[in-house]
Amino acid sequence: MSRNVWLNISIAVALILIAAFAGRMHKWQKNRPARHATESSRSVGEGATESAADENDSQKTEILVRFRSGVTQQAIEAITARLNDEVEDRIEAVDGLDVIEDEDNRSADEVVAQYRALSEVEYAEPNSEIKLDHEGAGKHIHANDELFYKQWGLFNHGQDGGKSGADISAMQAWAVTKGSSEVVVAVLDSGVDYTHPDLVNNIWTRPQIIKAYEDDGLRSEEPVDDVHGLNVLEDSGDAMDDNGHGTHCAGILGAEGGNDIGIAGVNWTVKIMPLKFMDADGAGTTKDAIAAISYVINRKKAGVNVRIISASWGSTIKSRALEDVIRKAGAEEILFVAAAGNASSDNDVKPHYPASYDLNNVISVAAVNRNDELTAFSNYGATSVHIAAPGQQIVSTWLQHGFEEKQGTSMATPFVAGVAALVLATNPGISVDELRARLLKSVDPLPSLKGKVATGGRINAAKAVTPQ
Amino acid sequence: MSATEQDIITKARRDLAQRLGVREQDVAEVSVEETDFPDAALGASVEDEMSAQVITPGRRIRLKADSEIYEYRATARQLRLVNFKGQNYRV
Repeated sequence: MSRNVWLNISIAVALILIAAFAGRMHKWQKNRPARHATESSRSVGEGATESAADENDSQKTEILVRFRSGVTQQAIEAITARLNDEVEDRIEAVDGLDVIEDEDNRSADEVVAQYRALSEVEYAEPNSEIKLDHEGAGKHIHANDELFYKQWGLFNHGQDGGKSGADISAMQAWAVTKGSSEVVVAVLDSGVDYTHPDLVNNIWTRPQIIKAYEDDGLRSEEPVDDVHGLNVLEDSGDAMDDNGHGTHCAGILGAEGGNDIGIAGVNWTVKIMPLKFMDADGAGTTKDAIAAISYVINRKKAGVNVRIISASWGSTIKSRALEDVIRKAGAEEILFVAAAGNASSDNDVKPHYPASYDLNNVISVAAVNRNDELTAFSNYGATSVHIAAPGQQIVSTWLQHGFEEKQGTSMATPFVAGVAALVLATNPGISVDELRARLLKSVDPLPSLKGKVATGGRINAAKAVTPQ
Repeated sequence: MSATEQDIITKARRDLAQRLGVREQDVAEVSVEETDFPDAALGASVEDEMSAQVITPGRRIRLKADSEIYEYRATARQLRLVNFKGQNYRV
């Protein structure tokens, strides 16, 4: 090889290193690169997130990849998502040169080999210098769950036509807490498949110290062995789901995270109390809803740390009795998170219950899509609907140990209930009033929600778990 | 038309015939369309009924009898009659 060729190669390598350094300097100056600008502005502040630094984050493999001319940024993000990686930075001085962060613990050589095999890639190489310069980045925890790339509500990097950053900032929240097995959330629904592999480790089990459930209103005179919650339809302790809806909602708030399978819940660790009052068609009665809420109150009084009821159901029928029992739950420091409804209507004009009960422990939840827009189906209400959360194209756990995508304010509700559980994990002594107030303050204001929900925003988990 | 869909329509026609006191063959099928309903009660909750607030794909079935149009809503699991003399019914 001639001297000139070696000289050209040396100059090329030097230019790349200079460009990488220049890109890094650019990153330091702006704190976060272009792709992360939105995340930065909606996070709780660099200082706060750095204080929750995740040691594992700085140990992730990063490589330099230059994509061929004509490969769009959207295509690059699709490639990295497919390989379970993330575009960590973009070296603006060199067209198509990106810093790729590996998210599944592969070695630099393995990741480089993956990219070198792609026709869209001009070259790929390890870059240890980039890896060392990680201090400037906001800290977050990435989930390794198989379907995590579909969970735009937790991490939206623009996949499937979504808007980057239109999520609840779950990864930043997880740097503070991933939940606690001390926090119990009642999923008041069609039951829960408590054997689902992505839920089984997060299902509540009645401690032996707490007696089996007894209530005068039960059909049976015998106590119910409520080992994993209650089935009001049968007065049994078997709250197995035969519809799928309750299992879906349970997964959103509390599917086990970081276990390589399925999805990650808003809480990686939590205790889900399954309650069944709706039948296989997803319908139930006011009376049975009241019975289930009474059960939660009873268990709370008996010593179970159940502080949240997630209620992804409702109707336009007002019931004083239902309102009273939810108020009673509030007196026991239990938050009641409820779906605003899917009739595309204004709850201020045509209320939807239980979400529209004007009680201090009720939060009414609307649904936004992956572009941070109020969904076409979601109910709204400038005063009576409080907050929004992801509710369209939401993948979660389903029957037969499967996973399905669903939409509705049903899906938005457990996002908020899940964030409430994260708050309780970090602040177990918080009162229901304080918890509700904190959640309603922890939003990203969105133009699409102005005048549509009371807070004008979508829930932000990172803000909620960071001391105010 | 699938066997399941035909079964649902047959069930709806039979139900309407019984309610109106007419023969089944006097109930005509007007239209069947796929649509998304706002909840698990297919947007047609009955008295005292709460339902899951999930968008539910199903079919809107319109039948005609005695010059009147009647609407049923269906999924593979359930069938509902909408606003029949001012009320909804789970069939």
